[in-house]
Amino acid sequence: MVDVLTPDYRRDLEIRRYPTYLYLLVPLATLVLQAWLPRILGRFAYMDLPLLVTVYFALNRRSPIHGTLLGALLGMAQDGLTQGAIGIHGIANAVCGYLSASIGIRIVVENNIIRMLLNFMFTLLSSVLVIFVTRVLLGLHLQWNWLDELLRAAGNAVIGLVLFPLLDRTQIRD
Amino acid sequence: MESFFGRYRNLIVLLVILLLQVIGLAVQVRKASPSAPATVVGFLHEPRDGTGVLLIRLWAAEMVTPFERAIHGGGQGVDGLWNNYIDLRHTRDENRELKETVDRLRLEQAMLHEDALQGQRLQALLDFQQKYIYKTTPAQVIGTSGSSLSRVVYVDKGSAEGLAPDMAVITSDGIVGKVRDVFPHSAQVLMINDQTSGAGVVLETTRIRGILRGNGAGQPQVINILADARIQPGEHVLTAGGDQIFPRGLPVGVVERVDRDPERGSFIVVIVKPAASLQRLDEVLVITSLDAHLSLQQQADLETSEELKGAEVAAEAQRKKAAAEMAERLPGLKDPNAPDAADGRPADGKNADGTPVTPAPTVVPKPLPAKHSDRFSPGGVDPATATGTDGAAETPGDSTPQTESKPPTPKPATPKPNPPKADTPKGRAR
Repeated sequence: MVDVLTPDYRRDLEIRRYPTYLYLLVPLATLVLQAWLPRILGRFAYMDLPLLVTVYFALNRRSPIHGTLLGALLGMAQDGLTQGAIGIHGIANAVCGYLSASIGIRIVVENNIIRMLLNFMFTLLSSVLVIFVTRVLLGLHLQWNWLDELLRAAGNAVIGLVLFPLLDRTQIRD
Repeated sequence: MESFFGRYRNLIVLLVILLLQVIGLAVQVRKASPSAPATVVGFLHEPRDGTGVLLIRLWAAEMVTPFERAIHGGGQGVDGLWNNYIDLRHTRDENRELKETVDRLRLEQAMLHEDALQGQRLQALLDFQQKYIYKTTPAQVIGTSGSSLSRVVYVDKGSAEGLAPDMAVITSDGIVGKVRDVFPHSAQVLMINDQTSGAGVVLETTRIRGILRGNGAGQPQVINILADARIQPGEHVLTAGGDQIFPRGLPVGVVERVDRDPERGSFIVVIVKPAASLQRLDEVLVITSLDAHLSLQQQADLETSEELKGAEVAAEAQRKKAAAEMAERLPGLKDPNAPDAADGRPADGKNADGTPVTPAPTVVPKPLPAKHSDRFSPGGVDPATATGTDGAAETPGDSTPQTESKPPTPKPATPKPNPPKADTPKGRAR
């Protein structure tokens, strides 16, 4: 069990690298899909694709700074599409990106179950941070439904099972 | 010192990023000036919530909406390829029928418009404050905000097509929301089920007014209503028209249920099922003008309608004239009980100033006394009767001849004047 969770050998410690265009293309695609899919799925669009991409690149790049910056940029872009204040999702995603990279340094993230759990937990953490910033920092009256947040976390966990292996195939092999 | 930054570099970067965003949030929340609307003129974007903030919004929208437009256009193209080029059965017949229907509806619309204009003129005389929808711009919904906490959609029309902030967005079923931020070729629409939206509404039957906004579950609800047992599920909710955005009387939805306000015990919240399908929006109408601006086609239709109405009025006048002439030529029946209008009194029994006519007292003219009275003279004595020489009305008692007779002294006739019948109209006096 310990061997599974700790990076004991060199392959797990190395930093995964991806083509440069992928750092632009994938975030942009997730933003577009995140904005477009609710038109098809309606209220059943339980997902947060920009957060998934943030977590994925942070886990595999194993760079907290990279994860923080990517999360902040993607979160601010998400906020730019809403009518709310810009920075709410930026703060949440930056924290998630930082923590993902920090965890990616310490544990092996190849296992699908671990990926599911991480995605579930980070999505819940993102929801908590969004609600905290909105209600406490901004003082706005915001109603939310915990069931929706749980479903979104579950949706992200399931989507991650498909998305992460796809993105794994784009990494640059030595 | 260098080792400190090197050691905690990651954490420091995170804290700096968070600090910058918190400062940005504080700047955004610091002031909200509703009097400064957002406008887009070329690349100059002057928003309600700060230039920097809207630049980020503009970048995000400009980054995402072209792809959304392409995806939407691709889907439309596939649909169009099938519907417009492949599945064309009975299209010619349908086209002919539709053209006929359009021609008929255009004239009907013009007639209705004419009546509406007349109604508005009358309402203007009565100081009615009512606005009408005169011009709408159809727009396609191409995307959403992507956040369940933000009920926002994007449409494929922007300032280049005449859209401006705070314009109402509707469908044929009911209201959708209002335009919030406008970009050159896209616009952000805040829907009525968002928690930050607001619209003045009125319940159709009970006439209770309230404010419509969304709740956490994405349902529109009417708030600020005191508990009232008259509000029942199924009652229609309409726009009240007092918010300067939505014209009055547009359908909003129906009452789904009534809940108690969890924060204020004496108040209730009315959950509304929206008339427009907010989850499946495809095409919407943006109300771009509430003033009367008619297109050339509408003006031409209106003139045609007026000509048709003028012809109808002329034909009616001709018919009445012919009927009047016919009535003059034909012998008519005269109601003996009808008031006589030939005596110079108005037929309705009123003077020109509206005061009722007081009938003049009926005075029998007093005749002058006759110089030589005879039996026809009023009050006079028949000379023949007096002398007994002549007269058919000879009485047996009077047959004795009178030897001496004084000629009767003529007496002036003194007829008794009839008492005036002041309150009796002449017609009824008979």
